[in-house]
Amino acid sequence: MTFKYFLVAVLISFIFYLLLLPRVGYLRKGVIFAFVLVMLIFAIQPDWSTYVAHRVGISRGVDLLFYLTHLILLFIAFVYFLKLKEMELRFTKLVRELALEAARTNSQR
Amino acid sequence: MADLRTIAARDFSQVLSDTFVIVPAYNEARVIGDVIKNVSRVFPHVIVVDDGSSDDTSAVLRGLPVTVAKHHVNLGQGAALQTGITFALERGADYIVTFDADGQHRVEDALAALRMLSEDECDVVCGSRFLGTTSNIPRMRKVILKTAVHFANLTTGSRMTDVHNGLRALSRKAASCLEISKSGMAHASEIIGQLMQHKMIIREIPVQFYYTEYSLAKGQSSLNFINILVDLVIGRFVK
Repeated sequence: MTFKYFLVAVLISFIFYLLLLPRVGYLRKGVIFAFVLVMLIFAIQPDWSTYVAHRVGISRGVDLLFYLTHLILLFIAFVYFLKLKEMELRFTKLVRELALEAARTNSQR
Repeated sequence: MADLRTIAARDFSQVLSDTFVIVPAYNEARVIGDVIKNVSRVFPHVIVVDDGSSDDTSAVLRGLPVTVAKHHVNLGQGAALQTGITFALERGADYIVTFDADGQHRVEDALAALRMLSEDECDVVCGSRFLGTTSNIPRMRKVILKTAVHFANLTTGSRMTDVHNGLRALSRKAASCLEISKSGMAHASEIIGQLMQHKMIIREIPVQFYYTEYSLAKGQSSLNFINILVDLVIGRFVK
């Protein structure tokens, strides 16, 4: 039982933290909020996750959560990979522009 | 394709003065002085792209007759080449020669490539050590290079014998269609890919390679090949 309380406390504080976050769009906030809310419900009522799991052809609720978590983490990793590539490109452009700027002034002298 | 008659009518010295040599350099203080001296004896315009070297490369370059573009951080050879190409095009280069800083290439080969480019019907001339008489290519390296060539030929539709060769001569038209985004060593096949995409005519010319102890230690380690492959495969899916 203790872990359940811990989980609920963490999830609720996460919701508060999320609501206070600046510069995050309402849509994104809404999606994360809904997701955390579902987790909260499953934390309080574990049997409900089993019910949902049965409906989609998985035998245990924990397995359902396990698969979902993996999918979501994979998705997040991919999004960050793309962002990192994008950042790398911008960074390269910036460094190149600085180098060219200096070379232009040097070669004019 | 460049108008052949106008090119043929031009004196080769005119070609030389319209040519910019690009030397990407990363921590090459030990050899770059000699390399640049040799190159600038023949070519009037040399651009060295110092790719964030942490050794004395910039100090060595200071007294030499070259233009230096310095990356403040190390970005990789592909990015360095692109910086040099952008700068050379800005300065009105008609021909661009890329040349490694580690002393592996011969200036004679660069000249031969440039002559072929200016006289033959082509847009790009690439050096190939496998057509030349370079005999002391380390075996492991040979296997890796050959695999890379096959992979590049397979994915880009080119018919090269050597892809990871830093010695190339490009016409202005060919250089303008390059947009190298792979910072690391995968840029070599990326360049071929982009040239093929723009239907540039690529020729190869046999070149000699100096495999010195220095250049072998400096050059990419054989394991890096895995990085290149991964980079290329992912690059196919993520633009």
